[in-house]
Amino acid sequence: MKKCWWLIWSGVLALSFLSGRVSYAPQPYVLEYPASFGHRINTPADNPLTKEGVYLGRLLFYEKQLSAGNKISCGTCHEQQRAFTDGKTFSTGVDDVPTDRNAMSLVNLLWVRNFFWDGRAPGLELQAITPLTAPHEMGQPLEVAAQKLQQSTLYPGLFNAAFGSDQISGDRITKALAQFERTLISADSRYDQYLEGRYQPDSAALRGLQLFSTAPAPEKKIRGANCTHCHGGPKFYIELYHNNGLDSLPRDAGREKQTGVAADRGRFRVPTLRNIALTAPYMHDGRFNSLEEVLDHYSEHIVSSASLSPVLRQTSNEAGGNSLRLTKREQKDIIAFLHLLTDSSFINNPNFSNPFN
Amino acid sequence: MLYKLAAGLLISAFMATTAFGQTISVEGEVTTPLKLSVADIAKMKKTEVTAADRDGKTHRYSGVPVTDILQQAGVTLGAQLRGENMAKYLLVKSGDGYEVLFSLAELDAAFTDRVVILADQVDGKPLPDGKGPFRIVVPGEKKPARWIWEVTTMTVRFAKD
Repeated sequence: MKKCWWLIWSGVLALSFLSGRVSYAPQPYVLEYPASFGHRINTPADNPLTKEGVYLGRLLFYEKQLSAGNKISCGTCHEQQRAFTDGKTFSTGVDDVPTDRNAMSLVNLLWVRNFFWDGRAPGLELQAITPLTAPHEMGQPLEVAAQKLQQSTLYPGLFNAAFGSDQISGDRITKALAQFERTLISADSRYDQYLEGRYQPDSAALRGLQLFSTAPAPEKKIRGANCTHCHGGPKFYIELYHNNGLDSLPRDAGREKQTGVAADRGRFRVPTLRNIALTAPYMHDGRFNSLEEVLDHYSEHIVSSASLSPVLRQTSNEAGGNSLRLTKREQKDIIAFLHLLTDSSFINNPNFSNPFN
Repeated sequence: MLYKLAAGLLISAFMATTAFGQTISVEGEVTTPLKLSVADIAKMKKTEVTAADRDGKTHRYSGVPVTDILQQAGVTLGAQLRGENMAKYLLVKSGDGYEVLFSLAELDAAFTDRVVILADQVDGKPLPDGKGPFRIVVPGEKKPARWIWEVTTMTVRFAKD
């Protein structure tokens, strides 16, 4: 019996050798991130990260053949230098029609459980289908994208290395993209360096950090901006959906469009603040051009409505106030702190850059 | 087309689970999964507790003991809360995405006199906008971080590790 198995194995080995094909043996991609980020990561069992998959995903991220007319790639609206945003209020896709919402930053997605401003996609593989196929984005059916790549000289071999056969499909395209996106980890900002004792912030940024982390209590003469209530923790976001008082009657109903629940009106994802100084304009509709405008909103212009976040109700540095009522200097200090969250090694990481350049 | 269909199906499944913001799902390690409407909960026996909220002031909260709901779903409480069931927890989710956890023993009357309730009233009035219709109230807890508001789901699970 043993001899029989040996014969079969040697036959298989000989055949694979003769056919000249390298057997499918992808190497695991080891993710490196601070323990403080936690291990509640979102990687599906059927799409483990491999070096081959991540490399393929990076090429696909910058591959214009994935769009109708080969006009744009994911990287067109997600530029590394802007922490994978595009600086526009709304992006324009292959048909030059603006999208409905501001392009989101792609940072520390490994931990995100539900994607988009309204959290409607419970995984990166599923999320990727929308920008690839939406008419005002890349506008091309996945089957067409797969056919184009199948006919290329470059891709069949790369898909073979990543997935074990040179068959290219929409499923494999989104899987490779998701693998690459999960490697976009930002954890080396000046704030991280400060925590490790490698960088000393100036006094304005330190005052900003204090305000950022403190809930205001005017009756106790405690001043603060309460930012950490939603943007707290090492990743600078909690996966929540809040109405942050932009409008009484929002033009974009946000999560309510998905759920039909009135409490979800005007609710959008709480985004991470890592690299926030690079990702203007701000909010789901890009209405604020600068961090100064954002701070002015929270300080002076919270609009009341039935679905306004309870966290923003009666949260003020003035007794009975409905907005934070920070002084101009306090706002500047908070902005000085937010600049510490810019991670230059992230935006310059050669592993994330356009390989076709 | 298949991918679009798959995406559509997944997204509709997601919508179906969140569309009933005004009901509470009780699921996981239960013998009878529940979808409780406001009317269902109104029919249950009410309890009143007194507790201090984040404002530091003491309020009267009225609602249903969480264990009454779990018992209705057939969760292992009381005499059954022993052995491997000691590794079970309750995860409570809010419509805004927030989540908090209780071990079953923290809730069970055989272990504690503290009654954690699913409140629908404060000081005789419905909960204010943004916090209702149901909010967990944990009497005696110094920080109200587990007083999760807009409760939508209660899931019982075994701890994995």
